[in-house]
Amino acid sequence: MSLYLFQALNGIGLGMIYFLISVGLTIIFGLLNFVNFAHGAYYLLGSYLCFTLVSLTGNFWLALVVAPVAVAMLAWVTEKTLIRRAYHLPHTFHILITLGIALIIQELSIAVWGPIGKTVAVPEALSGVFRMGDFFYPKYRLFVILFTAVIAVGLWLLLERTRFGALVRAGSEDAETVSLLGTHIHKLFALTFALGVGLAGLAGVLAAPIRGVHPFIGPEVLGLAFVVVVIGGMGSFSGALVGGLLVGLVQSMMTTIWPQGASLMIYGAMAVVILLRPYGLFGRA
Amino acid sequence: MQVTTWKKLLSVAVLSATTAVCSAEEVTIYGVKSLSGSFASYGKFADMGSKLAVEEYGDLLGSPVKYEAIDTEGNAGKAVRKVQEAISQDGALFFNGATLSSTALAIGKEVDKAGGVFMTPAGADELTGTDCNMATFRWSVPTYGAIHETVEPLIKAHPEWKRWYTITPQYVFGEALLSNAEAVFEAEGIEHVGNSYHSLQEQEFSGYLTNAMAAKPDVLLLLNFGGQSSNALRQAVNFGLKNEMKILVAWSSGLDQLQELGPDVAEGVYFGAQYWHTVETPMNNELVKSVREAYDMAPNYPMAADYIGTKVILDAIAKAGSTDGAAVAKALEGTVYQGPTGEETVRAADHQVLKDYYLLEGKAASEMQDEDDFAEIISSGESFPDESSLDCTRS
Repeated sequence: MSLYLFQALNGIGLGMIYFLISVGLTIIFGLLNFVNFAHGAYYLLGSYLCFTLVSLTGNFWLALVVAPVAVAMLAWVTEKTLIRRAYHLPHTFHILITLGIALIIQELSIAVWGPIGKTVAVPEALSGVFRMGDFFYPKYRLFVILFTAVIAVGLWLLLERTRFGALVRAGSEDAETVSLLGTHIHKLFALTFALGVGLAGLAGVLAAPIRGVHPFIGPEVLGLAFVVVVIGGMGSFSGALVGGLLVGLVQSMMTTIWPQGASLMIYGAMAVVILLRPYGLFGRA
Repeated sequence: MQVTTWKKLLSVAVLSATTAVCSAEEVTIYGVKSLSGSFASYGKFADMGSKLAVEEYGDLLGSPVKYEAIDTEGNAGKAVRKVQEAISQDGALFFNGATLSSTALAIGKEVDKAGGVFMTPAGADELTGTDCNMATFRWSVPTYGAIHETVEPLIKAHPEWKRWYTITPQYVFGEALLSNAEAVFEAEGIEHVGNSYHSLQEQEFSGYLTNAMAAKPDVLLLLNFGGQSSNALRQAVNFGLKNEMKILVAWSSGLDQLQELGPDVAEGVYFGAQYWHTVETPMNNELVKSVREAYDMAPNYPMAADYIGTKVILDAIAKAGSTDGAAVAKALEGTVYQGPTGEETVRAADHQVLKDYYLLEGKAASEMQDEDDFAEIISSGESFPDESSLDCTRS
């Protein structure tokens, strides 16, 4: 297998991880018109909960279920007590509130888990690599790609083919009318916020064995998620998928073509997309 | 009449006491630490090291030593502003710390202008090279020694490892490590089969590791630091590279990094280190005991570096018998003292502390004797450029 072909495959794998990191952010923005700067912090929390659960039980699969649900529940409580009071306010208020939440989560994480980073072992069943000629690909990364693909399909079905999805989409267009038709709009929004944040927690769990866990990972993840969302179009589910794949492919291919510019080219790709399509590939004006 | 005499005696006593107090020079050490931001994990331990050194020191020049921490927030600009404030508002003269080379370089210049003394563990060669000055002293071994004490011993022990691949962060520190490594490769007849540069923000290394796989090296040499080297190594192990080639992290942060990685990742990997807590030297034995008593843990590199950095400044103030910065800097030059790594010397020519650098090999979990026994020292020694080849030309 040629180096470039393998880098392309690796890029697709990376892209799926980036999709998972950013999809929650785009769902919350697209459906609730809310800018969640605490997205990276919820990812962080998912990673740390994964570390704790794996340390206590040795069971990664338990962490994969429990940690995102716990993060989503926390988000649901936060939405009910704080976030919902800010929906009608300008985006600057959303940013201020969620940055505050992010700082609280980050500092609490240091207080609870300490300043030193943590490593989460790859589950035993997924340790090892697949050999492809001269190259090796970790079984765990392949699992993450497949798992994320399933999540992507499930999310699309939920948002596009279920009553819940239809109500959320309708609510995002005209909350008052949906409410008048008998739907508890606040409950719907709380569930949507919890879903988006739970996906950040899930990304944190899945990425923990690959990238480790440390208290300052949140801002890095948030930056990456915003790049993907801006490329794909703010609020677009398909945009997050295509944006994630594009970022992954650009990054992976550039590490062979121009390694020192691999990170730079992610932002280069974003700049090109903004110039050609200011609202992103799938965004709406 | 009797009352007047008593009043006079009392006045004389108060005046004497006041004079005595005023003649004692109060010494304050300013710890420049990244207590928040991306490098807080380093700065918090460094702060603990400086605090411990000050607490243990007791009185100096007739007064207890004071300690003030300055949070750099891992940002050179903020660090310089805070150091300038400390100098102009509090008359600060004695500084220790700075995690990042960029921060240390900037602070060194400010302290030099103020006529103070600054001891740092930062890595950039320029600190004791082209940007050296009267105020700046450096405890850590620079990149020259880090490469010579890790790459050379491995080549000598394993002459069959002929093909080396490097992954390098593209900034001054990485470039210095790479150029030193290339010089060693050339001298030892090693084939440098490739290098991947990456940016200072990079955390995803799968692409660079793929480049390394394609080059089929015997050894993968990681020239990055901190979180980047941890992530590069973690991902290399995920990709199964540990079974295909040897991996050397030339500049690890020591115990705290190995605690983060754990034995599953670290087993069989080589690490260069400035300090290791099991080193058998009189001073290190004392340090381990003190840290255990104070913090119930083994000392790590940031703690040891800033402990000794602070202590050495205090000793120099005692030796100079004054808080005059120039006199203290002069007292430091050429000093030989017992440090954590054994006998350490402050070279007068460039203010570099001459000390050992260590090559460690990660142990399997089953071989660990205690919770901190992550690695064994397989070689150590001093490697510094000759005085005749130094870039330091301060007046």
